[in-house]
Amino acid sequence: MDAEKDESTLDALLSDAARTYRVPPAPPLDAIWSQVEARAFVMTPTRQGRFAWRTLGLAMAASLLIGVAVGRVSARGDRVATETTVVAGRPPAQSPVSQAKTAAEPYQRATEEFLGSTALLLAALPRTGSADRTSTLLPEQATQLLTTTRLLLDSPVGANPRMKALLQDLELVLAQVARLQPRRESAELTMISQTLEERDLVPRIRSAVTDLSAFDY
Amino acid sequence: MPRAAIASSSGEADDERSLIARAVVGDRVAARKLYDAHAPRVHRLTYRFCGDADLAADLTQDVFVLAFRELPKFRGESAFSTWLHRVAVTVSLNAMRKVKRLRERETDLDEARHHEHESGDVDPDLRTRVAAAIDALPEGLRLALVMHTIEGYTHAEVAGALGIAEGTSKARVFEARARLRKSLGDYLEEL
Repeated sequence: MDAEKDESTLDALLSDAARTYRVPPAPPLDAIWSQVEARAFVMTPTRQGRFAWRTLGLAMAASLLIGVAVGRVSARGDRVATETTVVAGRPPAQSPVSQAKTAAEPYQRATEEFLGSTALLLAALPRTGSADRTSTLLPEQATQLLTTTRLLLDSPVGANPRMKALLQDLELVLAQVARLQPRRESAELTMISQTLEERDLVPRIRSAVTDLSAFDY
Repeated sequence: MPRAAIASSSGEADDERSLIARAVVGDRVAARKLYDAHAPRVHRLTYRFCGDADLAADLTQDVFVLAFRELPKFRGESAFSTWLHRVAVTVSLNAMRKVKRLRERETDLDEARHHEHESGDVDPDLRTRVAAAIDALPEGLRLALVMHTIEGYTHAEVAGALGIAEGTSKARVFEARARLRKSLGDYLEEL
């Protein structure tokens, strides 16, 4: 075999392969970019927006924690006061109903804030079939609200059957919004709309906000 | 095919640094400019690696998603394109290792596509045999050969993208050619 000739022939074959081996078709650059943009920038659309929602989420969580602390201190104070009352033979300075209301106030504020924020989020969701794309912030906002929902469910607010049912339904919807993905957005939005309609959620939120002060924790 | 021109001129490099800095803080216009500048070559390379149009588009997408997420870690110690091609090679290899069907997808459709671009006087059967011989090369040799000999990257560029020494790139291309000569021996003798 003539090595020099082989080398020259191989060069020619590889030169031909550069023109014929897996020649790429025209790339769908715009289509690829739309996916890149949705995936790579989904969590950082604006620093301000993210900050605002994190701050709101933290504020609501903080309200709940303060509520829990105040409730426990108040309950302990109630016991001490009752014991003292028994020993001293005098009636308590504040009625149990009044003390319960004092303890419930932080929860009430947190619940009002939560319901208001959730109503805003649900109103911001595009309708099924809309040409508008869902804001990339919505799943992040829903995740924040989902955390608050679970805190509320574990708080005295969750002891109220009506409020518990509402929170559980909102938990389901917020979980759906938190999982929204651009590729399957249309189908997911349909499911969310169905859930909102079937469970009559928006009117129930309005009703809950109106009646919140009457809830017996 | 002209040699790949990965290295930018000084002015272009300054512009690119500015685009990178803006893309890091979420400027999508800057990110799009970076994408426009590099996506065609990245797509071309991923297609040469995998031979599947849909997969090449997915890989290109994955490359840029990863690149933009990791962009804050880019220190500028190498050219952006070198760093990006390294990401492209890593993403492509990981994907191809996971998708075993890739080799099976090199079907008649791909061969038909190859033949659309036929030119010169190389026998179609021989062309198919050359393609099969390239595909049969071990991964490291095939990548070096495709990047350098088929796609026109310099050895320095291949080395940067594959994370190997320049001498190793040369050695791999040399070894790949030796194996091709051996596998195509009968055909070469006849020519």
